[in-house]
Amino acid sequence: MGLEITINTREKDVYLVFPKGEINTQTYQILEDQTKDILNKARAIVFEMGGVSYISSMGLSAIFRIKLAMEERGGTIALVNMQPRVQLVFDTMRILSPQMFASLTEADDYLDKFLDGVQDGTIKPRDPLE
Amino acid sequence: MTTGFEINEKLPTDLNKVNPFIEQTFQKILDLIGANEEIFKVKLALEEALTNAMRHGNALEPGRLVKVRIKAGPKQISLDVHDEGKGFDLQSLPDPTRTDNVARPSGRGVFLMRSMMDKVEFYDNGSGVKMFKKLS
Repeated sequence: MGLEITINTREKDVYLVFPKGEINTQTYQILEDQTKDILNKARAIVFEMGGVSYISSMGLSAIFRIKLAMEERGGTIALVNMQPRVQLVFDTMRILSPQMFASLTEADDYLDKFLDGVQDGTIKPRDPLE
Repeated sequence: MTTGFEINEKLPTDLNKVNPFIEQTFQKILDLIGANEEIFKVKLALEEALTNAMRHGNALEPGRLVKVRIKAGPKQISLDVHDEGKGFDLQSLPDPTRTDNVARPSGRGVFLMRSMMDKVEFYDNGSGVKMFKKLS
């Protein structure tokens, strides 16, 4: 099974990415390539994961690299609506837990607080050397 | 009535061959035992083993092969993946779940293999791995 990516604008500089299919050894690069353009302008990227039926460590690493790139620019990511199998892989690796949400509404609350923090200076961009 | 099957394959080192091979294999497994939540875990462990064997073991050299042996029965599956590399020191792998290691990709594949399967044993200095899972 392949991977299809749809990207919508949710609000100014906040993008909603819909991956559909499997994020695996063969497809992880599709995710990175297709999100490359929005990485330079996004303040936040929300991954709507409901259409992802499988993820391997290559897929996890791709999402993690996107997260690090966003944090270096003072941005963030959120992951919503994961299928149980995909959630199991993230839970097993214990990464990105603070950025995983059951719904877009929950993710919006997180993003509002995060973006307010960036604006008032309490949240700083991540140092790439850290 | 089919009671099981065995696959013996030599894959060239080509990451684009990993998922098509897995899809083909898992269709056979689904035909044998039907839908089972545990199969997803076996599929993930096999992908991690094949990807590690090609990337780290065979250093992505196209001339090197990865030997795969899969034995599937209605109640259990065993996997054996062997590359042509020098092996590795299992003890040197970082714990990928530790906060100071999460940005480092190494170790995630082995960690997932161990988490998804009942038994994981490395042999030949780490250039081979045998894995086993019971299916309920």
